[in-house]
Amino acid sequence: MGQVQPPVLPCVLVVEDDPILMMALVEFVENAGGEAVEVTSIPEAIQILETRTDIRTVFTDLDMRGSTAGMELALLIRDRWPPIELLMISSHPWDEAQIPARGIVLGKPFDRRRIEAALRRFTS
Amino acid sequence: MASYAILDTPAEAGFDGIVQLACRLCRVPVALVSLVAGDRQWFKARQGFPPCQTDLNSSVCAYAVDHPGQLLIIPDLAADPRTSANPLVTGEPFIRFYAGAPLVSPEGHVLGSLCVIDHAPRPDGLTPQQQDDLRALAHQVVSQLELRRAIVFRDAVRADEGRAYRARDALRDTQAALTGANTDLSVALRAVVLGAMQAIPAAEGGTVEVLVGDHLEYQAVAGTLAAHAGLRMPLAGSCAGYCAQTSKPYRMTDAATDPYVKRDLIAHLQLSSAIFAPILHDGAVLGVLKLQSARPDVFSSDDLTLLNLFAGATTASLAAAETRSVLRAKDDYWRGLFNRLSEGFTIGEVIRDAEGRIADWRYVEVNPAWGALVGVDAATVAGRTIREVFPGIEDAWVTDFASVVETGQASSFTRQIGVLRRWYEGRAFPLGGDRFGVIVLEVTDRIEAEARRNALLQLGDGLRDVTSVGAMTRVAAEIVGRTLNATRAGFGRIIGDAEHVDVEPDWTAPGQVSIAGRHRLARYGNIGAGLALGEALVIDDVTTDPRTGADPHPLLAIGVAALVNMPVRERDRAVAVLIVHDVRPRVWTVEELEFLRNVADRLEAGVARVRAEELQAVLNHELAHRLKNTLAIVQSIATQTLRGVTERDLVDVFERRVLALSRAHDVLMQKSWSAAKLRAVMESVLSMQVDLGRFALDGADMDINPQAALSLSLLLHELATNALKYGALSAEAGTVRMAWRTEADGMPTLVLDWTESGGPAVTPPRGRGGFGSRLIRMGLLGTRSAALDYQPSGLRAEFRAPLADVQVQVH
Repeated sequence: MGQVQPPVLPCVLVVEDDPILMMALVEFVENAGGEAVEVTSIPEAIQILETRTDIRTVFTDLDMRGSTAGMELALLIRDRWPPIELLMISSHPWDEAQIPARGIVLGKPFDRRRIEAALRRFTS
Repeated sequence: MASYAILDTPAEAGFDGIVQLACRLCRVPVALVSLVAGDRQWFKARQGFPPCQTDLNSSVCAYAVDHPGQLLIIPDLAADPRTSANPLVTGEPFIRFYAGAPLVSPEGHVLGSLCVIDHAPRPDGLTPQQQDDLRALAHQVVSQLELRRAIVFRDAVRADEGRAYRARDALRDTQAALTGANTDLSVALRAVVLGAMQAIPAAEGGTVEVLVGDHLEYQAVAGTLAAHAGLRMPLAGSCAGYCAQTSKPYRMTDAATDPYVKRDLIAHLQLSSAIFAPILHDGAVLGVLKLQSARPDVFSSDDLTLLNLFAGATTASLAAAETRSVLRAKDDYWRGLFNRLSEGFTIGEVIRDAEGRIADWRYVEVNPAWGALVGVDAATVAGRTIREVFPGIEDAWVTDFASVVETGQASSFTRQIGVLRRWYEGRAFPLGGDRFGVIVLEVTDRIEAEARRNALLQLGDGLRDVTSVGAMTRVAAEIVGRTLNATRAGFGRIIGDAEHVDVEPDWTAPGQVSIAGRHRLARYGNIGAGLALGEALVIDDVTTDPRTGADPHPLLAIGVAALVNMPVRERDRAVAVLIVHDVRPRVWTVEELEFLRNVADRLEAGVARVRAEELQAVLNHELAHRLKNTLAIVQSIATQTLRGVTERDLVDVFERRVLALSRAHDVLMQKSWSAAKLRAVMESVLSMQVDLGRFALDGADMDINPQAALSLSLLLHELATNALKYGALSAEAGTVRMAWRTEADGMPTLVLDWTESGGPAVTPPRGRGGFGSRLIRMGLLGTRSAALDYQPSGLRAEFRAPLADVQVQVH
């Protein structure tokens, strides 16, 4: 084939049902040196996780339709794919005790520095 | 002679027998017992001799008397020179012979003679035997006389004794009557008149002449004076007047000669003799006690003395009655006070055990008010102990009074008799020895009203502090239970159409079971009907109330003898009931029901507030979520819009300003956007930039209003951003001191001091600067009171704003 493969970037599964916020999340991932895999729903996210093995990090919004959906996904991931890192953003106050192990929750509006720093740490 | 009291008395067999015997023994037709008295001789006994007496001229016996101890025998009276001319010899009855034996008393006095007489001369006189007989008979006569005298004496003594006894009796009766008469003067005077008349039988009429002005008036009249009540006598010119003026007893022996008697009265009153004695009162003559007779000189001086005794008794009795009436008036006064007091008054006496400790006390006396105050018949408690009268009474009712007795110190108290459910306020004081007095008033209404008022205050505080309906009802139940001295209080939610009630965890008095859980109302009687309509259910006694009386056992089984179910409404519908139970029947007072209605109203308001707050919290939460989400979208739109802009820094600055704004909202949301803590706003915004350890925050925390919070967060964000970029925070060791204080001079002001140090040397920025610089210069809340001092050591900035604009307005 002889083609030079571009270097493989770490894949970050971005879960967000709001298209405008999705744009911002994808930008955070890219700025942090990752490649965003975009999904807009939980089932879709699970499907991807079941089919792909290159997802190292899941970046999800906890405020999605069905108020607790985001957190359920996070718990499911920690349960089924323990190695995957979890970065969550939320506009609701959160209970630290409910956060899955190694998971990070950051609030809205976005604190770009912290989000990108967390992504960088997970993807490096 | 007089002592024999024999002269002129009728014939007596004893003496007659002697003269008959003398005639027979001396064989003569005449024999006499002749007694000599004064100028006559009187025959106590005679035989054969008609006249009863003769004068002494005619007396032959007189000769016999001259020869005491000897017989005088004159054989022929006509021949004897002493008697030959005697008319009894010379004329009728022609006596010729005389023999007489003298009658000699034991004292040696010759009283007369026993003589025998014949109408013929007896030359031989009497035989010696006859002489002896005559002497012996003379002795018999004397003996007879002596006997007589003894009897007379005895009778006289008896009469005296009888009179004295009668007088004493009468005096005693009179004194009793006087005492009985008390203050009734007319009764007293009548008693003394009757008594005196009884004691002095010679009196035919009696009266007390009472001094009225310058007159004496007949007031108590008896006997012959009975018809003369009201008769008036001048003080001057009457015997009574004389007695009154001299204040001495007086005896008038004969009206005909008396110097003081009022002449015209003599006939009118049939007055011959009288005695008078003064009756005194208060040292002055009140009147004169008088006894009188139609005969002269019937009253002896003894009688006067006796009369004076009666008058004196009257005087004494009047004085005593006066004293008694003064004492009684005093006593009546105090007793009246005691009885009319509206305060309860008790005199008690402590009871000690063998070791001398006081374990109880006895009621000595209580007044009627006391009885009314405690609901006990005041007449039944004297002699009983307080623990007997009130079984189960609090120990303090004994120990407190015991200490009054022990220490001699009075003590005030406000205390309940639990078994009566009544409160008393009073004072106990020592009365000496083991006795003490207590004055009490019942203050149940006041204490209970205070308790209810306090309970409502407490409820207000309690309800304000709790944030859930459950906590609220628990607070209310306990307060209600304790305040009304009930045995259970709780809160039940009405289920459906008042068929069931779900009772929440309830408050119970010690020993009472909880009834938390679901109850079917119909099980307890017909008690659900009114509740659905929002009516209070009030039952004083479940055994007699028509709604529960048919079968009170389900209620009694859970310790309910009296109950109140007060509806609690939510949006005008009874949704719950405030439940109060008592294990004993009780009358729920209007005040108590009012209190419960009040509690229910407050619960309604409290529940409504909690519900509103819960709703508000949900709304706030949702709003915060939407706001933050929207700010994130704004950030995203801006970033995407500025995608082509090469100065990414500016995009970052923008994002961070939005973030700073959002941090202020986070703090505000904790208090529902009504206020924020100054320090929390600072920490939240500053921690966005660098570790909080780089900042020294110095000032008293305070609540600030939302505008101030937003303004402060943006201001601090810009200051921190600059410090990070150019100032102290750009160096590793640089720090910022953030100090604030309030100044009260003139208008109270909040002053913020931002002092950087440890950074690189600074130079003032040139030009207008960007948004950030302008925002800093506009200061806190746009007051433009911002003093920026670019010292080489670091920026110093001071911001001032009126405290009133920063603080939360309290409405």
